[in-house]
Amino acid sequence: MRKQFIITTMLVMGLLTLHAGGYQVRLQSNRSTGMGLTGTAVQMGATSMFYNPGALAMMQSKTDFALGASGIISRISFQKSESDLIAETDNSMSTPFYFYGAGKLNDKWSVGLAVYTPYGSSSKWKDDWAGKLLIQNIALQAIFFQPTVAYKISDKLGIGAGLVYATGKVELQKGLNYGPESYVTLEGSTSNIGFNAGVYYNASEKLSLGLNYRSEVMMEIKGGDAGFNVPAAVEANIPSKNKFDAALPMPANLDVGVSYQATEKLLLSAEINYVMWSSYKELEFKFEEKGELLNSKNQRDYKDTFIPRIGAEYVYSELFTFRIGGYYDPSPTNEKYFTPETVSLNNLAFTLGLSITPTENLSIDLSYLQINGLQATKTYEPDQFGGTYKTAAYIPGIGVSYRF
Amino acid sequence: MKLRILFVLVAAASLWACQPEINEFEPTKGSADFSVYMSAGNSLTAGYAGGALYRSGQENSYTAILAKQFEAVGRQGAFKIPYINTEDGIGIQGATLRTKLVMGYSTDCQGNTSLAPVPANPNASQQELAILLGTSVAADGPFHNIGVAGAKITHLLAPGYASLNPFYARFASDPANAVINEIGQIQPTFFTLWIGNNDVLTFALAGGAADEITAVETFAASLEAIIMTFKASATAGAIANIPNITDIPYFTTVPYNPIVLQDQTLVDQLNAGYAQYNAAMEQFGLPHRISFTMGANPMVIQDPTIPTPPGYEMLRFRQISEAELVLLSIPQDSLKCGFWGSMKPVPGQFVLTMDEKSEIEAAIIAYNQIIESAAQNNDLALVDMNSVLKQGSTTGIKMDGVLFTADFVTGNAFSTDGVHLTPQGNALAANTFIDAINKKYNARVPKVNVADYEAVRLP
Repeated sequence: MRKQFIITTMLVMGLLTLHAGGYQVRLQSNRSTGMGLTGTAVQMGATSMFYNPGALAMMQSKTDFALGASGIISRISFQKSESDLIAETDNSMSTPFYFYGAGKLNDKWSVGLAVYTPYGSSSKWKDDWAGKLLIQNIALQAIFFQPTVAYKISDKLGIGAGLVYATGKVELQKGLNYGPESYVTLEGSTSNIGFNAGVYYNASEKLSLGLNYRSEVMMEIKGGDAGFNVPAAVEANIPSKNKFDAALPMPANLDVGVSYQATEKLLLSAEINYVMWSSYKELEFKFEEKGELLNSKNQRDYKDTFIPRIGAEYVYSELFTFRIGGYYDPSPTNEKYFTPETVSLNNLAFTLGLSITPTENLSIDLSYLQINGLQATKTYEPDQFGGTYKTAAYIPGIGVSYRF
Repeated sequence: MKLRILFVLVAAASLWACQPEINEFEPTKGSADFSVYMSAGNSLTAGYAGGALYRSGQENSYTAILAKQFEAVGRQGAFKIPYINTEDGIGIQGATLRTKLVMGYSTDCQGNTSLAPVPANPNASQQELAILLGTSVAADGPFHNIGVAGAKITHLLAPGYASLNPFYARFASDPANAVINEIGQIQPTFFTLWIGNNDVLTFALAGGAADEITAVETFAASLEAIIMTFKASATAGAIANIPNITDIPYFTTVPYNPIVLQDQTLVDQLNAGYAQYNAAMEQFGLPHRISFTMGANPMVIQDPTIPTPPGYEMLRFRQISEAELVLLSIPQDSLKCGFWGSMKPVPGQFVLTMDEKSEIEAAIIAYNQIIESAAQNNDLALVDMNSVLKQGSTTGIKMDGVLFTADFVTGNAFSTDGVHLTPQGNALAANTFIDAINKKYNARVPKVNVADYEAVRLP
């Protein structure tokens, strides 16, 4: 009971959006975050609605709530190729969050609602930095609402699925080559639907397996606001107010995980996430007015990635549970089309976690994630803009979970 | 409570969070010695742009950019430029002085207002400009940039050239000097030289109607003499070749067929008017015929080389061919309202005929061969500006998000005069120099970000 409570708490922690390759964020639980962001084959109570709705079927308490957030402090450094020019981002902290509430209807059925932020990206370069004609600042945000239902087929096997209603918005600004005060801003929001389905299997007392699929959600912006700040002489060709359409995929994920209760106190967890980034082929902008001049197709040609993760959880006492983990998240970007709008390098990350359980019902989950983007020299060939990038993200998080 | 803990955690993480460090580029001088850099050349080297010499143009010349980049590889001291004390600038057009050309609105003879290059200060008096241009800054010298607007290769070697060119007179250390005599006062260890454009350009700018192309032998001997002067102190340098100037916007912007007819009566009138001409040409056994149709028509131009029999010299005109070039200097109002090109043949000074164009192109090929072998013989970096313009005028050149083409105003490289470079174009030129220098001397001079420089400023 106590263990499950801790596990649930951990699950809650996992809800915090995690900063992963591309613009995916997997910080949907501080417990999961502490364990290398694993969770597919772990019973995490209400939190399982994100990581594996199949595991929700196994929830032990009657009702389970979890709430949490993380603060992503992200740093990007850049050195232009064949040059001593250095640039750094001045990113404000982004705060992915999660909320889960789930309850058991009866012995077989569980239902719940999950709200989480699985995609996001925010980079703020200086307005006059070397790559200003590619991007000055960008912020992507998505919030997913997921009503979920799970069914316990047997004591060993659970399945679950949720319908995802996703809302998203994007804001970006890039410079135009009409002098230092020229730039374009694009702002749009949209919504779409998707799903999340999973299977959870207790192969033995100690061994659990999990399989989860989260569908792609295509964020199609229609009639977003475009503002062009250009010299008056150019306004005949480039109207200062315009509307644009664009689409950005939030890629599908297939997660396969295993967890092993090595001792009464030690839980080990490992999994592979297969992220189907290859659907991000291009970023196309279509404008309502002067489209013949302004429309652009920008190749991205992302490739699918495999992310291996490991994590461990140790119940030290009734009060304290410790976690540790790590993962390797390779960049989905294409060699030829690496843009500073989404600086996504090969990431090596480690995680730490701590849960404090003052009463049986309540758990406070702390997590810390550090992501090191491995230095690499990249070019965006269509603009002949390249250089060396290196990133780091420091992400503390906190969550609470309450169950009864 | 929970929020407070989050704040504490974030504060702690902020302290811990450090900016990743990158140090991938170590500037190195290679086998060159950049400690004293000097540049010679013509208006491009001087930083002339928009048809005038002005302060910020001088500050953004490719050579001023290079001087700054060379600091990372050991250049010492100030890089002295003979600055002119005006931002409006001074240019010479024919016999008059004018301020630089900026993009503004002008109204043509038909009452249509459009965006066009206009003088920055149309009210500047000739006297005022003459005083500014005539003010000597020699006392601030000796100068490291001795580019002189209008100079041909032979001019750099001509004693007393100051008396012919006020752009040299204004900084000449001694009026009796040749430009190259300034070199010894600086004793450069490294030099750049980009000269020879005017040896064809002056002829071309006059539409082939005045001046002449410098003879190839003279060019070779002059180049050698200038390089030798530099090599008295310099152990390394870079020399740029000459772009095919007939690809610059000055020659490519005005179409060959700007005579647009929308009235059949006028078409008929014109054809009737040229019937006699066509009959005469047929009688002389010459191929030239003039005819007009509805829509765009090639302009009629003067061509004194047409071999009409004695007594028929007044028939030495014809319609221009598609491959021939019209100069940016052609008065647009005369085309639109003065019947130039339709009823009146356009004077030869506004046109480059096939023969003139071939003559120019042949001279550039010959000059560039001389420059290439001079670079080889003297162990200098060869800067292939010709290829840069060729690429710009065909596919365009992308660099740092900027697209350079050889288009007028919109191509980012060329300033409002259609000949000289914008700051952004100068940055492209500087990077081209740096590439050649780095390769030749195994150096790592940092390149500039061309997006940091301005293209043509629009109102």
